[in-house]
Amino acid sequence: MAMTDTGAAFPGPARRARAADPAGLVGDERLPCGRLVGDAWKQARAHPYDPDPHTANCPHCQQATEGLASLDRATRVLRTRRPGARAVADRVIAAVRAETRLGALIPLDDSARDLRIAEIPAAKVLRSAADRIHGVRAASCRLTPRGDGTTVDIAMTLAATLDRPLPERGAEVREAVAYAARRQLGLAAGRIDVKFTAVIETAAPATAGLSSRNASRP
Amino acid sequence: MDVPESGTFSSPRWAGEDLAGAEDGRSPVPEDAGDGDLDDAVLSARAAEGDDDAFAVLVHRWSPPLLAVAYHMLGNLPDAEDAVQDTFIRAWRRLPQFRGDAAFGTWMYRIATNRCLTVLRARASSVPLDAVPEAMAHDAAGEPERAAESEAATQALSKALAALPPEQRACWVLRELHGLSYAEIAQVTGMSEPTVRGRLFRARRTLMREMAAWR
Repeated sequence: MAMTDTGAAFPGPARRARAADPAGLVGDERLPCGRLVGDAWKQARAHPYDPDPHTANCPHCQQATEGLASLDRATRVLRTRRPGARAVADRVIAAVRAETRLGALIPLDDSARDLRIAEIPAAKVLRSAADRIHGVRAASCRLTPRGDGTTVDIAMTLAATLDRPLPERGAEVREAVAYAARRQLGLAAGRIDVKFTAVIETAAPATAGLSSRNASRP
Repeated sequence: MDVPESGTFSSPRWAGEDLAGAEDGRSPVPEDAGDGDLDDAVLSARAAEGDDDAFAVLVHRWSPPLLAVAYHMLGNLPDAEDAVQDTFIRAWRRLPQFRGDAAFGTWMYRIATNRCLTVLRARASSVPLDAVPEAMAHDAAGEPERAAESEAATQALSKALAALPPEQRACWVLRELHGLSYAEIAQVTGMSEPTVRGRLFRARRTLMREMAAWR
């Protein structure tokens, strides 16, 4: 019995044919006739038309194997019963949008110092600026006002493909973010920290965890 | 014993597949989202900072498997949809505290499973067993005899499942219908692995007996 599976990797799609053993787990249970459920199952499977004398006449073994076989068949059917989720997804999204957050108010680069922008929509704009750099996707984007004047520091975490050197990429991202901050939002960007925290696999969709690889840049 | 396959839980299993009739043949990730290619970690980091577009992609990606779990656990669609909606709204509110120490999918399975267990426990204390709705019904009318028989067997299993204690039912559904390993079930339910195995054993034994009786 392979019971050493770890929590690190979740198994693949349930639809994939599994080496199913209907007697698994209950196999060690002893039937009233003295046989183990697992042995009865193995016997029945190995000799379906030619049972040994015990199996041929034992109601306990027959009942156990029939129960396991029916359970196995019905389980396969139940596995395919998956209701459509579109309606519930749409409902959830509508509810979430109705609960929109704005985040802290961030000062704009305005000499009178009375214009502000909400952090969440501002961060969205800066993330899309970073996303426009080939092979880069922005994850986190935090804006921190320095407190004196209107300067705002920007800190981003990025996922990137590894087909070009990261420093080059980082420079491009900073430039694009600085430009969007200044020209699209009117922010006085101070430090722009970019940190690469995940790798986007180019062959398949990215699977690396955010904390798994840290190619940090100051 | 089933040997778990390799693979990761970073995206929902069976996404877009094995969903005959579900999703109206559409892909679970909306084409207009533009962020559909992003992985869960990037999307959840964005959503944690209030990006509702990123969260919408996660909702489309994860609602099919979570709805299936809830449906298998609760036995009817309205309750399952409520549980899934509740799960996502909770996740949206708690995301700012989600630090990504577990995969987003694992976290979602955990919230959904807890929600379902709460519903099942409340049900167990208030509803007599025979009032449990005909679980996971499927219209077998017009189908050949063999399909009708298999439908009857499936109904029998649904009923037997509905009669299991909530924790046993959760373990069995996660293992047998959703392919999670013992360790994953332990992670999702907060039970120890030996407890998970014990509950699975009891669930299987009961279901085996019920199915033998049905024959």
